[in-house]
Amino acid sequence: MTELRFDRLDTDGALVDAVAALHDQSRADFLRTAVVGSGALVALFARPTSAEARTRDVAILNFALVLEYLQAAFYTEVERIGNLNGPLERQSRIVGAHERAHVRAFRDALGRRAVARPRFDFGGATESPERFRRTAVGFEDLAVAAYKAQAPRIRSRAYLASALAIHAVEARHAAWIRRLAGVSPVLEAFDEPAGRTEVLRAVRATNFIATTRSRRSPRYTG
Amino acid sequence: MPAAVTALAVLAGGCGGGADRPPERGPEITRRPRAPAPALRIGAPVPLGDGRHEARWTPVRRRVSARARPDLAAPAVARLATRTPEGTTNIVLALEHRDGADGAPWVRARLPVLPNGTTGWIPRVALGGYEVVNTRLVVDLERTVATLLRDGRAVFKARIGIGTARNPTPRGEFYVRNELRRYASPTYGPLAFGTSARSATLTDWPGGGYVGIHGTDRPERLPGRVSHGCIRLRNPDMRALGRLMPVGTPVTVR
Repeated sequence: MTELRFDRLDTDGALVDAVAALHDQSRADFLRTAVVGSGALVALFARPTSAEARTRDVAILNFALVLEYLQAAFYTEVERIGNLNGPLERQSRIVGAHERAHVRAFRDALGRRAVARPRFDFGGATESPERFRRTAVGFEDLAVAAYKAQAPRIRSRAYLASALAIHAVEARHAAWIRRLAGVSPVLEAFDEPAGRTEVLRAVRATNFIATTRSRRSPRYTG
Repeated sequence: MPAAVTALAVLAGGCGGGADRPPERGPEITRRPRAPAPALRIGAPVPLGDGRHEARWTPVRRRVSARARPDLAAPAVARLATRTPEGTTNIVLALEHRDGADGAPWVRARLPVLPNGTTGWIPRVALGGYEVVNTRLVVDLERTVATLLRDGRAVFKARIGIGTARNPTPRGEFYVRNELRRYASPTYGPLAFGTSARSATLTDWPGGGYVGIHGTDRPERLPGRVSHGCIRLRNPDMRALGRLMPVGTPVTVR
């Protein structure tokens, strides 16, 4: 089983910044306290000790924005490479358009406070139907679990209403791709709100974070 | 009365309502808080464009052989390093994606090797994440004009110097490999772009005779056939191009 590598997921550090803000920590403090690896993702869902409500809401929105960046980049790359056909192609095209709309909405709402788009390396997950299916299931389940975990922590009812609107759509995406992947769209009568185990299991199953071998920043100028 | 029936009766009758005096409006409705307006404006889904002006490039993450087919047993067509001769990250232009004989993903890429125009299959695992550009530089050797297109529309045009008849600028499909400012000098101008094109006649030059796009201290000689194969621009044009053309841009020399 592929270990979840937080550092590989978050090559530009945007997710670290967003999560550190959730915890009222500096980036350096967060990286010191978070175990790099699957423990770091677990830390995403832990309750921060204190935060001013608006600052926390902005941090939660930025965290959601990074997840939306991740999904939007994934589906966009899938569509551009064009190796899918039939129902999978249709699903990826429609869901990609949704995820890009989510990114736009978060960026509009956050304005200058929006985190920058990270760089992603999907390591081949966008290049074949089978790898796409596995990764998409993981991403959608991750998104559903993440929104569910963050929603009770949002102070602004207006933001909460938006988060729930997106959460419902992510749940539909998850059900759609699960059906296409031949797994049950709904396993239980209740979806656990914390979802840590489920999120980690889904991400591991995607094999998404498998190929980036070096964290050295590439240089294209000299 | 069962608890469930009691609860329903309360909902139907309201807290203060008796069974013989039905309320005028359902209290359970009037007491609900109003739903807040969402803070985010979720607009319509955002479809992609047709992508016909986009190109995808990717860094070479580890030394690897590019092969004639997506198969580790296929003949090698080139050996790729992770760095260019100038020390920047080596990149290739991705053209096609397919699972190989090993079941793993492979990428057919345009390669910075002789003969010009060579493509080869590279294991996906040796490459990094994809970057996308929507620009293309078209170099017209007959008219000695370089035109930069963005989304298919010309955004920059300049007269240029090209290679002499003895050391011609090679024709074909290439890409911009790096942007170099370390060579800023009267001879090369304020900056230079390295390309994947290589001179077929000056292979013994430092770095292997890659064709550059750079400025000049002899602007009066442009346009014309004046170089060893590089593409020369006047320095103000070079600065303008530097602001517009990202690394990874495909280059068509015709």
